[in-house]
Amino acid sequence: MATILVVDDSASMRQMVEFTLKEAGHQVMVAEDGQVALNIAKGAPADLVITDVNMPNMDGITLIRELRTLPAYKFTPILTLTTESTTEKKMEGKGAGATGWIVKPFNPEKLLATVNKVLG
Amino acid sequence: MAPTLRPARPIKHLRLPEFQHMKSYWDPIQNVEVVRVLAGEFYVTHCSEMITTVLGSCVAACIRDSAVGIGGMNHFMLPAEKASGRESNGKGAAHGLNADAAYGSYAMERLINCILKYGGRRENLEIKIFGGGRIMGGIADIGLQNISFVRSYLRTDGLSPVVEDVGGDFPRRMAYFPATGKALVKKLRNIRNETIVQQESAYLADLRRVATQGGDVELFGD
Repeated sequence: MATILVVDDSASMRQMVEFTLKEAGHQVMVAEDGQVALNIAKGAPADLVITDVNMPNMDGITLIRELRTLPAYKFTPILTLTTESTTEKKMEGKGAGATGWIVKPFNPEKLLATVNKVLG
Repeated sequence: MAPTLRPARPIKHLRLPEFQHMKSYWDPIQNVEVVRVLAGEFYVTHCSEMITTVLGSCVAACIRDSAVGIGGMNHFMLPAEKASGRESNGKGAAHGLNADAAYGSYAMERLINCILKYGGRRENLEIKIFGGGRIMGGIADIGLQNISFVRSYLRTDGLSPVVEDVGGDFPRRMAYFPATGKALVKKLRNIRNETIVQQESAYLADLRRVATQGGDVELFGD
């Protein structure tokens, strides 16, 4: 089972994603914005990051760019989980180093299937 | 006092890019441009516009940041169906591990995110919630489920409504002015509900398909 860092500024969404992942046996760390997530990431490695895009303090795209500069996160899978669905945003995410893009509303089984796929 | 005239140019060009497709009309009585929000839609504006909708079982959250001068309204209901046949246990239901909560959170987050994207701040949000009437037949009170979800979502996210006008066994016609925060509600006690029930039933059927499938997933390495 993996350690997964979940980043979302909505507490409701964090709880739902956290519960979904914990039910599947994963360990979960949570952060309410990109800056908090980056601080957590610097102190603790994760096997996977799932991040929202639109957040205060540091958005998800900036977080991805910052994480990719950390040796421990250079090859870590990073998924976005967001209401954003435009091609432009997706390409911005891909350019920043995202592994995949999940559009909300999320389906729990689909999320777990995607998590399993990127974790290999 | 001289009546306010319609602006020489429609204000549509001032709209946020996400909402350029929304239709509007001029209301000569209120002297304001009006945008009607249908079930499943939301609208955010920084202009002096009036947002209207008709709510049966559905709920609408009217949210604004008065300091920045931006706000809007959503209009939604829960799909009232589990995502994929997974049995829900008490713990799971409490944490919202189903399509209902995922969709409801999405509907709320879409509105709030858009307000925050254009400068709103979470700590400044003024929230009013409306709707959730019991107008559809059946054992389950769909309106009450929608109300309960919105209350739970706001509580979990540390937000609280300043106004609630919810429940009852009647639909509501409402208008919201994000620039001032004023909300007008007319309880439709004396009209037949069939049209609203038909519209909400069609929306619900469509919603269940969307909620069951979830949003798109794209892996960039594929």
